[in-house]
Amino acid sequence: MKRKLAIVLVIIMAMTMGFSGCASTPAPTPAADVLKVVLILNGTLGDKSFFDSAAAGMQLIKDKYGDKVDVKTIEMSYDQTKWEPTLVDVSEQDYNVVVLGTWQMVDALQKIAPQYPEKKYIIFDTTVDYSKGDMGNVYSITYKQNEGSFLAGVLAAEVTKSTLPLANPEKRIGFLGGMDIPVINDFLVGYIEGALYVDKDMKVSISYIGSFDDSAKGKEMALAQYNQGADIGFNVAGQAGLGQLDAAKEAQKYAIGVDSDQAAIFATSDPAKSNLIVSSVLKRVDQSILRAIDMHMEGTAKYGEAENLGFAEGCIGIVKNDNYLALIPAEIQTKLTDLEAKITSGEIVVGSSFGMDTAALDKLRQGVK
Amino acid sequence: MNQLIDIIFSASFGYAVIRVTTPILFAALGSLIADRAGVINIALEGTMLVSALTGVAISAYTQSAWIGLLAAMIAGGLVGLLLAYFSLNLKTDIVLSGIAINLMASGGTVFVLYLIAKDRGISSSLPSLVLPKIQLPLIDQIPVIGAIFSNHNVLTYASLIAVLIVYIFLYKTPLGLKVRAVGENPDAADSVGISVIRVQYFALITSGVLAGMGGAYMSMGYVSWFAKNMTAGRGFIALAAEAMGGASPVGTFLTSLLFGFADALSNNLQSLSVPAEFIQTIPYIATIVGLVIYASRKTAQINKIKQQEK
Repeated sequence: MKRKLAIVLVIIMAMTMGFSGCASTPAPTPAADVLKVVLILNGTLGDKSFFDSAAAGMQLIKDKYGDKVDVKTIEMSYDQTKWEPTLVDVSEQDYNVVVLGTWQMVDALQKIAPQYPEKKYIIFDTTVDYSKGDMGNVYSITYKQNEGSFLAGVLAAEVTKSTLPLANPEKRIGFLGGMDIPVINDFLVGYIEGALYVDKDMKVSISYIGSFDDSAKGKEMALAQYNQGADIGFNVAGQAGLGQLDAAKEAQKYAIGVDSDQAAIFATSDPAKSNLIVSSVLKRVDQSILRAIDMHMEGTAKYGEAENLGFAEGCIGIVKNDNYLALIPAEIQTKLTDLEAKITSGEIVVGSSFGMDTAALDKLRQGVK
Repeated sequence: MNQLIDIIFSASFGYAVIRVTTPILFAALGSLIADRAGVINIALEGTMLVSALTGVAISAYTQSAWIGLLAAMIAGGLVGLLLAYFSLNLKTDIVLSGIAINLMASGGTVFVLYLIAKDRGISSSLPSLVLPKIQLPLIDQIPVIGAIFSNHNVLTYASLIAVLIVYIFLYKTPLGLKVRAVGENPDAADSVGISVIRVQYFALITSGVLAGMGGAYMSMGYVSWFAKNMTAGRGFIALAAEAMGGASPVGTFLTSLLFGFADALSNNLQSLSVPAEFIQTIPYIATIVGLVIYASRKTAQINKIKQQEK
């Protein structure tokens, strides 16, 4: 009995010491002027695409503002049941700004945001429906990916017409999409318009993988396109799209990447593959989040509005890496730079799949088959 | 329509069918051996993932694709052993254990990938190797045939040979007879002195090794890296192919080929003017059609036997 009591006492003592130990190092209480920003991702990092880019944006914010901000990134994983509770949790805590993304979070945000009017929310790659309630604290960011892929379309069409070593005479280029959904089709519409801008007779082989992670299927579909005469393809399918790069190496054709500089992924491990990736269309989620926080700091943030960002804001771009500079003839490079300027100035307006009805989209797709 | 026929009768399409079939065929053979021993290996999907990662990691570390393949096969066997230990020794439900292994593999491979490649999506930073392709002498020279059958990955040929080996093993060897006896009626097998547990252990480990070769093909032949959840349901398609093939090696081979054909067709058709949504359902339509044919043949047989009994 005595021994038991002694053990219990020891445990209690140990615990109290443990706790007081915690208390003696006071948690750094955020000063009043420290902006606490949290990024919640409805997926995991490592996608080489926009979740990684969003996390990089948080780092940019930290680098720029140092002690004036406190940033944190939470990965909610792909388990949908965790998303809304996490959003509620971070809204309950003392964060000032909550950053989140994708259309899959829209419903949850529309429900939660009005309940925490003192919090600010930034949602990227989609927009909330501002008519659905009081969302004066939500700033939505969408991207003009169609502008970037317009240039990809121009580049692909110029490459297929050129005398580059791996180009064939056939006027056919490829497009490998993840799923038949508006964001992907926005890329497609820009791509087709870009290709047709160069040559009215350009043909585009279009495939949707139906998944964002089956890279083996992506490779199969890309090979099928290359076999049908495409000599350059553009993948917009996240991880699944990486299969296209393998296909390009096998078929010895060119590829254009998306979201991040995909040539850089393989630059050291597989240069033979990397050298076939002539460029990538970038969707700079990182820049757009930094821009939003910049505006927040200046007090000019457009909460209660949606904003569509493109070349002009530096949130869309195409990679001009060593491959691009070495492979692409100078006149094509000049042409692309000119077109970029024209799009930025509004002289060329690129069509978008948002607001386009299915019949019109089908007509566009059938027109280039 | 002409374009469609052009595609199906092109050599590159035939080549694609065989290439797409390989991982499914390996896993289906794994499923077959386990099934014939009376144990359902639902963990094929997870086994393939574990082996795919092991192959990449070990080949990058040793700079030998063959050691990578060997490690992938061992890893597959170990997963099979784990499943066998859970279900045969600890008497857990084998389907639940299989599901648990699949979930564990799905998350665990990403965790290990992060440890070794500091990346949670893809292993592209590791200098992993791929298994060689083989030019078949003579056959290579024949016009269309050569383009279809030659120059495949060494594991593709291994999968075809595996069909033969599994056939000989099941029907021509004493151990194969024991496996079939245990699957048919474990009590009867036990009564004649066959150790049911040992046979089932053997079947699950072999099943794991075969699925492991399928996994190695995914990351060291099909594509040249490991990416999270890259098997994308092929382990489950293999289960369906085995069931549809009536648990026989030849039937399993043919149904795997059917799945490969449907898959390759869906990959090729998309660039024509057929809606993507329709094409993505082709492999599944093929499954249902196959099951209907199988079921109607089965019922016809049963009816015939019933009539004979009268």
